[in-house]
Amino acid sequence: MNSGLPQHLSIDSIVKRFGTFTALNGIHLSAARGELLTLLGPSGCGKTTLLRVIAGFLQPDAGQVRVAGRSLNGVPSNARNFGMVFQNYAIFPHLSVADNVAYGLRARGVTSADIARRVADALARVRLAGFADRFPDALSGGQKQRVGLARAMVIEPELLLMDEPLSNLDAKLRIEMRQEIRLMQRELGITTVYVTHDQEEALAISDRIAVMDKGRILQVGSPRDIYEQPADAFVADFIGGCNWFEGTVSNGELRLAAGPRLACAAKPQTARLALRWEDLRLATEADPPHHRLSARVAMASYLGHRVRLQLAPQNGGAAICADLPSHGEVPAEGTTALFAFDPQRARVFGTDGTRLL
Amino acid sequence: MRRAPALPPGGVLARLDPWPLLGAAALLVVLVFVAWPLSELAVESFIGQESGRLGFENYAAFFGSSYFRRALFNSLTVGAIGTVIALCIGVPLALAYARFAFPGRDTIEVGILLSMLSPPFVGAYAWILMFGRSGWVSEFARGLGLDLPPIYGTLGISMACAFGLYPLVFMVVRSGLARVNRNLEEAAYSLGRGRLGVMFTITLPLVLPALLTAALLVFLGVVSDFGTPAILGEGERFPVLATLAYSLYLSEIGAEPGMAATTCMILLAITLVLVIGVRFLSGRRSVASDTGGSLALQPLVGVRKWAMTAGVALLVLTANMPTIVVVVCSFLEVRGAVFQPVFTLANYQSAMVAMGNALWNSLLLATIALALIIVVGAGAGYYISRRSGLLPRALDLLIMVPFVVPGTVLGIGYATVFNEPPLLLTGTYAIIAIVYVIRRLPYMTRSCAAIVFQIDRGLEDASLSLGRPPLAGFRRIVLPLMQPGIVAGAAIAWVEVFSELSASIVLYTGPTRTLPIAAYQQAATGDFGLAAAYSTLLVGIAAIGLFIFLFAARGRRERAFGWV
Repeated sequence: MNSGLPQHLSIDSIVKRFGTFTALNGIHLSAARGELLTLLGPSGCGKTTLLRVIAGFLQPDAGQVRVAGRSLNGVPSNARNFGMVFQNYAIFPHLSVADNVAYGLRARGVTSADIARRVADALARVRLAGFADRFPDALSGGQKQRVGLARAMVIEPELLLMDEPLSNLDAKLRIEMRQEIRLMQRELGITTVYVTHDQEEALAISDRIAVMDKGRILQVGSPRDIYEQPADAFVADFIGGCNWFEGTVSNGELRLAAGPRLACAAKPQTARLALRWEDLRLATEADPPHHRLSARVAMASYLGHRVRLQLAPQNGGAAICADLPSHGEVPAEGTTALFAFDPQRARVFGTDGTRLL
Repeated sequence: MRRAPALPPGGVLARLDPWPLLGAAALLVVLVFVAWPLSELAVESFIGQESGRLGFENYAAFFGSSYFRRALFNSLTVGAIGTVIALCIGVPLALAYARFAFPGRDTIEVGILLSMLSPPFVGAYAWILMFGRSGWVSEFARGLGLDLPPIYGTLGISMACAFGLYPLVFMVVRSGLARVNRNLEEAAYSLGRGRLGVMFTITLPLVLPALLTAALLVFLGVVSDFGTPAILGEGERFPVLATLAYSLYLSEIGAEPGMAATTCMILLAITLVLVIGVRFLSGRRSVASDTGGSLALQPLVGVRKWAMTAGVALLVLTANMPTIVVVVCSFLEVRGAVFQPVFTLANYQSAMVAMGNALWNSLLLATIALALIIVVGAGAGYYISRRSGLLPRALDLLIMVPFVVPGTVLGIGYATVFNEPPLLLTGTYAIIAIVYVIRRLPYMTRSCAAIVFQIDRGLEDASLSLGRPPLAGFRRIVLPLMQPGIVAGAAIAWVEVFSELSASIVLYTGPTRTLPIAAYQQAATGDFGLAAAYSTLLVGIAAIGLFIFLFAARGRRERAFGWV
């Protein structure tokens, strides 16, 4: 969805160092108008640093951030007109809910009649209509974050930046809020950069996801692309649960140390095969023997919609996992069973992490 | 969606980060008014008083003189004994307040606050009224055939200082106790320790850093104090370093500025060694924990409840006794040097005439100084707490230096440096206001830095992202949230500034005489009735200021005096 469209946000060769530590190592990224782009990665990967560079809280050592073709170098954050939503809400504790939301409008010299109307609209939009005169210490975490959202949206920002906005909320509220955020963002058409370390949240909310590690972007793509076509071993491993099998490629075939083999056109080398937990199933008669694997069930954990098995492969090798539908047949703990996989679900990576198949 | 966002006017000012500039300006000020006078003193101490040559001549002379050595010994003894006494009063009070609920808690706490109000030299004067050669307790005892030990010298000075300084111990140790994770004490109880056992094996070791800090503050307070030893030391008879430096510098016959500088440096060396020593001792031992919260107050029942109240009240009353005596005496008729049991306002009538513009000077100078302390201290506290780098660290260090520099030392430094162009300030109101500001700025800066540290940085980021320039965000978001810290810092600074004596006694001239100076002079040499009236005015006005701040703090969302 990005190529061809005029890019609203474009980030070009951003480098940011803290002392000798390189937090961002040449970042290129862009987002179309109205797109929700998520920065996803483990802690310390540089995603929050990148967001703070976009916001103008940090000055990059090299590179450019452009919005609507205009370079933001040297533009202080208070002149950027970007709304920001913070992980710990950052609600001004000495101001009422209404004054919090009005804060940015007052900075812009909006007339008080306009302020009153826009604040009321914004609070209604985040379902806090009756809360205008409350003080932050009387709000729950979810309500605080709604105030944060209203405060950032009401200034009609050029760009909305969200720094792990849901990670301080409990699980159920998190799911509810992320749907609200997504609906509101689409409705208002605000280009949004969203930072999270929660892969499920990223998959659920994003138009596109940029997966980051060690100050680099490893892959940018739609949630489906990221999950199903990981470009890199790190991406495959970070998103979803993966089993890894060591093997070697020769004569157009990958042979796994654990036994199975499958066609692979790459040149001879050692390689690793990644197989998602849900892609390992109980073998049937139709499965060819070289796509099968015998393993003992060390532990079975019932997770509701599925059962997760910890498996010890029969011919040695590291422990692996298999997620089976909980309503189907599930082998008992301690028994040995035959498992199988579909080769088109398998992803093969070289030792440097690049995708081979 | 509407487009065309109305951005704030993006002038140069909106884009500039003003803090480094303000920080640099503040650094320049402390370089001139802290670093310069102290380094000048250091240099002078190495210029021989007799020969004028560079070297250790003055130091040799200092340690070669038994009189000077006695001053050093006296300072150390008085400091040590004063510290022990203050700990003996402050620690039990802190334990009582941190752990037990008992009737009259809040009322008695006001009494502790009051002890802080009266400068130690007022207490010293009260000791003379009670236990002096013609004091009424001494007279009474003599009537019974008892000869009380003399109040002049070590014992009197340490007690007078300790009675004024124990609230520091109370505050520091109490807040240390409040930070001890309650689970630790609960664990010890569950393992079978009794209350006393827990106190000695868990609680007190955990607050050791607070105890050390409290002891340090008291010791510094005692050895830096000028008024108390000047009154209870009877001039030259019982010299301490602070009074020795003063008389060497200002002696009418043969002032010895070089020896005064040397004495100042020795006094400064003692305080520095102690500060560094305590930092080293408590440095790595971080036992404070913010999890678990503090213990709920244990309710006491029956006799024990009232025994606790009585004990606490007795301690606080004893500590306040000197002030009470002075206040009462100020309303008594004086005949000769003896107070008569007749109430009168005569002392105040003569005080109004005798004090000239001392009261007015004090009000004016203390108010100006306080305003400057609030503005500079709040700004510097914010800057030091929020920014990293060489400039804020240097500023922090230089602002804190006067905290450990005895007032007499700073006063002599100022008198030395600002006695000639380019900055000719001696004899002006300005020099006294400046020394007030520089001496008490550390309170405000610390108090503000501590509270800024607790303010979420994200609030300022949020303000920036919503379009306010840094200074506007500071004013609208940070400053209102800093208010409890500012009020607490200002309350203490007011009391300290209004009763400042050690530095201003060196720097005042006739027209710039202040109320504490007038009170000290009368107590040391002159009229007992006048001294009592001046001291009462001093304590009373300090108290009014303090309670205005307390009142201002009331109704705030946070309790500003939570740490007091």
